[in-house]
Amino acid sequence: MRQDDLVIYEEQIEDIERTLKRLIKDAQAKCVLLVDKDGHLITRQGFTQSLDTTALAALLAGSFASTREIARLVGEPEFSVLFHQGKKDHIHITLVGERTILAVIFDDRTTIGMIRLYAKEVAENLNQILSAEKQEENQSKNELETEVDTEFSASVETRLDDIFSDKY
Amino acid sequence: MASINYAFKEISCKIVYYGPGLSGKTTNLQYVHQKIPPQTRGDLISLATDQDRTLYFDFLPVNIGKVHGFSTKFQLYTVPGQVYYNATRKLVLRGVDGLVFVADSQKSKMDENLESYQNLLDNLAEYGYNLDKLPLVLQYNKRDLTPIISLEELQKALNPHQFPYYEAVAIRGVGVFDTLKCISKMVLDQAKRKQLFPHKEVEEKDSNLSLIIPSRIPSGEPIADVTGSTSPAEGIPDTTVTAVAEEEPISAEEKILPEPETIPEESKPEVELKIKEMTEENQERMEMPIAATSPTIISWSAGKKARSKGFFLWRFLGRIFNR
Repeated sequence: MRQDDLVIYEEQIEDIERTLKRLIKDAQAKCVLLVDKDGHLITRQGFTQSLDTTALAALLAGSFASTREIARLVGEPEFSVLFHQGKKDHIHITLVGERTILAVIFDDRTTIGMIRLYAKEVAENLNQILSAEKQEENQSKNELETEVDTEFSASVETRLDDIFSDKY
Repeated sequence: MASINYAFKEISCKIVYYGPGLSGKTTNLQYVHQKIPPQTRGDLISLATDQDRTLYFDFLPVNIGKVHGFSTKFQLYTVPGQVYYNATRKLVLRGVDGLVFVADSQKSKMDENLESYQNLLDNLAEYGYNLDKLPLVLQYNKRDLTPIISLEELQKALNPHQFPYYEAVAIRGVGVFDTLKCISKMVLDQAKRKQLFPHKEVEEKDSNLSLIIPSRIPSGEPIADVTGSTSPAEGIPDTTVTAVAEEEPISAEEKILPEPETIPEESKPEVELKIKEMTEENQERMEMPIAATSPTIISWSAGKKARSKGFFLWRFLGRIFNR
């Protein structure tokens, strides 16, 4: 079984956020989302307050996954860039490394060319930041399995009992 | 697989409801969505056909709050049950942390249950997963109908490995939460075994309900646990975003904000907001993440809000005319 949980450390997130902020500034984008291919949101920058970014992340990952299958069916290994054009807002999606995708949302203040240019550059930077972690702790952590202590179990059970009940 | 963010102290796990067509997978999610406190969940998203049959997946994000100091989120997915949607069904399985197999208890559906279970094993094998390490819970649904297959027969046919199982009538909510609790617990135990959680519980900076705002707040930090509750009306003008986007990176310690926990609606107005070093500059930043993301905590006096909005408008117009 694959043991590759996606682990993001504090130092990485600082670098990632700095890179994403620069992308927004340079390319004049509205916002950017960095999403795990499994649909988990890693981080976001820019004007995301009116967006349901959790759902957006899941749908972007779904969209990317289905496009990859389409690519496979027509004989391509993967479409590495996707572009959705709307009336006002557009989305540019780029593959970052093997398991993350970068979605840039932008409007007519900028151009698709600008976004493509900067997104490509940023994707490479992000890939370096994200892959740095892979060799280190991640592997060793997954190999060492420990027992679950009773304190943890109790804490989980209380949480779950509180939320998952018919009383609401 | 789970996603763990040590910077934001978040863990996110993916649970997939699998099973034959019309066995009640979407119904499970609909019941959960309907019954859990709104501040703990996002919107239920269904990618369905015109006949309300799942085409790609249903998706429900749930935030159960802090476990061992980590904000713990589950992403609940269903797959399309019909046989010919296997391509999309397989995609949903990618990165799964826990599975619920929803079987239809009706006698006429036994073959479909078996076919779907075999399909699950095949699809898991293609991803290189196996059920030795992947948590699975079975749910025998539609126990209120007749004629139904006996529990013993179902167990013998579908559960040779003795996974936990529950009888259910999902449409009335019977067994829905039992199943979800069981799989959630198994998934978190698995995460703990893999040492994804810290050894000791992370101390919370501020355990009471008062929210102390750090003097600087990062712009894009996902402090909205359930972003579905965000209202566009509470957003901010673009100008603020530009200002924040130009900020220098800040230290990780400053980023930790108290979680929007499960706080009852009626207690919100009583919670006080303490503000440190309230300068003009950070006043502008403060409005953004909190106003937009608070299913929780903020009581902000009307006068201050009005003044603040006036201030925004003034800044906004100023910027336009300066261009």
